[in-house]
Amino acid sequence: MIRDAAGRFGYTPALIIVVCAAVSIALLSVASGAYPLAIPDILRVLAGREASDPVASLVLLEVRMPRFLLGFLVGAVLAVSGALLQGLFRNPLADPGLIGVSAGASLAAIMVIVLGGTWLGGWLEFAGEWALPIAAFLGGSATVFLAWRIANRSGQTQVATLLLSGIAINAIAGAATGLLTFYATDDELRSLTFWTMGSLGHADWDDLLIGAPFMILALIVAPCLARPLDAFLLGESVVGHLGYPADTVKKAAILVVGLGVGAAVAVSGLIGFVGLIVPHLVRLVLGASHRVVLPFSALIGGTLLVAADSLARVVVAPAELPIGLMMALIGGPFFLGLLMRRKVV
Amino acid sequence: MTLLVNNLSVLLGGVTIVRDINLSLEPGEVMMLLGPNGAGKSTLLRALSGELPFLGQIVMAGRQLVDWKPSQLARRRAVMPQKVDVNFPLTVEEVIAMGRASTSKGKPDGIIDRLMVELDITHLRHRMVPGLSGGEQQRVQLARVLGQILDTSGPRLLLLDECTSALDPAHQQLVMEVIQRLAREQGIAVLAIVHDLNLAAQFSDRLLIMQAGRCFREGTAPEVLTQSVLKAVYGYRARVISLPEGYPLVVPLGSGDAQLASGKPSCRQAS
Amino acid sequence: MRARILLMALSWLMPVLVQAEPTRVVTADGAITETVYRLGMESLLVAVDTTSGFPEETQSLPKIGYLRALPFEGVLAMRPDVLITSEQAAPQDNLDRLVKAGVQVETLPMAWTPEASLERIVAVGDILHARPQAEALVTELSSKISRVQQDAANRVKRPRVLFILAAGNHSVMLAGQGTAASALLDTVNADNAVTAIQGYKPASREAILASQPDAIVIAESTPGQFDINKWQELAHLDAWKSGHHMVADSMLLLGFGPRLPEAMDALNRVLPSGSAVVNDDS
Repeated sequence: MIRDAAGRFGYTPALIIVVCAAVSIALLSVASGAYPLAIPDILRVLAGREASDPVASLVLLEVRMPRFLLGFLVGAVLAVSGALLQGLFRNPLADPGLIGVSAGASLAAIMVIVLGGTWLGGWLEFAGEWALPIAAFLGGSATVFLAWRIANRSGQTQVATLLLSGIAINAIAGAATGLLTFYATDDELRSLTFWTMGSLGHADWDDLLIGAPFMILALIVAPCLARPLDAFLLGESVVGHLGYPADTVKKAAILVVGLGVGAAVAVSGLIGFVGLIVPHLVRLVLGASHRVVLPFSALIGGTLLVAADSLARVVVAPAELPIGLMMALIGGPFFLGLLMRRKVV
Repeated sequence: MTLLVNNLSVLLGGVTIVRDINLSLEPGEVMMLLGPNGAGKSTLLRALSGELPFLGQIVMAGRQLVDWKPSQLARRRAVMPQKVDVNFPLTVEEVIAMGRASTSKGKPDGIIDRLMVELDITHLRHRMVPGLSGGEQQRVQLARVLGQILDTSGPRLLLLDECTSALDPAHQQLVMEVIQRLAREQGIAVLAIVHDLNLAAQFSDRLLIMQAGRCFREGTAPEVLTQSVLKAVYGYRARVISLPEGYPLVVPLGSGDAQLASGKPSCRQAS
Repeated sequence: MRARILLMALSWLMPVLVQAEPTRVVTADGAITETVYRLGMESLLVAVDTTSGFPEETQSLPKIGYLRALPFEGVLAMRPDVLITSEQAAPQDNLDRLVKAGVQVETLPMAWTPEASLERIVAVGDILHARPQAEALVTELSSKISRVQQDAANRVKRPRVLFILAAGNHSVMLAGQGTAASALLDTVNADNAVTAIQGYKPASREAILASQPDAIVIAESTPGQFDINKWQELAHLDAWKSGHHMVADSMLLLGFGPRLPEAMDALNRVLPSGSAVVNDDS
């Protein structure tokens, strides 16, 4: 029996389908790219043996593997962050990109790149190679907090205010980024394009090493908030009535989103819409309980981003499309469809 | 004593909304809060449910409210807000199970089934809450709130803010009977805000009628629901008939020329 | 005797020291691609980047993307022996990985003087094992260059030139100090009229009027892009009215490739002659 009495998929068949899809997309992603790799070679390299093409193991182990892992983590974290924000704001339209969290994180990252040589030199010296992800994390958390303060009036989140403040935050971050590009040198400018377009194109083990701890921490902490977040769906006051510490939960969720989105932005730039599409699909098929939404969003978000990234590097091969562009192409129409079809906000 | 409130005042934005309220509730006792719009009923209830800072004392089962651990308090005090908006596709069963999270790990259990039967929502079990009518949603929320404290032993408190406002008359009777019976059987103290005077007269042990943040009169239904009190508090012209069932019936006589009255508050404790 | 032993040792070492002749070449820089064509080695090219639009034949080659965002796999998939690019190439990670994958990556320095530009042609020649062709080309180009420069040296005073980059319909940038545009002006004994700006910055119409240049150069990224009717303030400048202006392809003007003499010559022709400048001043 695939569907239960509420017309939803059973969790077990859904899990089997999602895991199968994730594994096949993972294989597809590792096997596809501009450089042709023979399947036997891939299997041989993955089994730790020598491939017939000596370059094959380099492509596979140094390029596609870190890229796949980073893509999966970023997708998972963005989807989970979207789900957390939607629960927290009690609104299915909240998304790290839409409400400006990603922009806040990327602005902080860009500030480190451009002002690292001058004003922020001390910070760079202090934090070393962690300077960027930590700055992105602080920028992301600060923006969630700001959006929360602006949109929340006596326990109720004003949806319109939230989205409008998102527009304003995105505009301010965009303008500040533009201003910084004015002071940026040519070299710095190259890095900036990477942030605004979003890309996994230069992913390597170093990126993974820096970004993964933050993202994995976010993915581990998020499910602990599932029950109180369910209560949030009934209203902020209900959280307290049910015995959960509403303020602590709120702060924890904000930190997790800042941590996850900050790290994701630090390693891959601005990638939108994952946090909007994925939790929405999960709720449609499996229901709104966060104990289901969070883990499934992580799995499907990771899979979706890896799939989009595989597509991004084959459609215009041997060149590559920025993944941010790819997600906007997929996510933009989806979002519009969502707005047209929605019954409740 | 389940609840003891001493000199409770609540200030919101520098304005005193609730002033010097004293009340006590014994296990199994049903008290209803009456009063015109803006009298401070909901504010009083929100202070009791821990949502607002207050002056004075609130003692739950012998312990100051602030001294309770939130998770323990949640098993002894349940709150039903005036309105719960659900925007997400949660089923009836899932919402009720949220009230049971700390006891049954959210799995469907016997208490959920029993409450759904009592509140006549078994047929809605797998429906999505956002698609239900207002009255159906109210019964679902009530089931969640009751489930939260039903199988705890010892003193328990149920705070209800207009829990029957969207129900048809038959379901109003059904719901109030369930609440009254559970209060008696389980020794749950109930404090409920109600606007329907006759419903209050029929199902309450005691009434507390508020005006401008203060207690205007407290006592049994025949003591509180008198022509002069209603005129003084609501500016409401009514005839009060004593029914053979043992509680009064309030029959409205139209607003007439009655203006908001200026009765002197005199909070008389019922013996 | 010792010399002979040395010679023998060298002949043994030669195949090790000198890379095998490349058969598959990818270029990522417009000027370098032009150089490959001018050396007659285009049959080796298997792919180019998006800045390589000249000559026309480059259009039929696969494009690997922008040289500042080179994809690792995209380049590797062309199975090149050598990737010839400039210092502008990025990201460095991907270049490092290409080296690991056995691709010979040649990152040539930026050329902002005629000398550097000629050196780069020799360097490309060396990489492609086409030194003689490169030397012949350099001889040809350097005589053309010195002819232009001699003519330019006759000017008494260095003219001040407004250099504008037209990249889109409404996006017009002023070339400031520290740019290839400034470097080009320098080769023909001229100065950049814009002194207060570093790099390329969006053009303010007032700044254009205030610059009062002796000549105007407009570099288009696609031919026919620039429309003087949309930039009336340019038309009002004396330099424009007196015909001291030119519109040309930006790769021609700023590439510092084998077309450098053409660029210098075209630019030199629109500059006011020395006597004219003297007359204006008196």
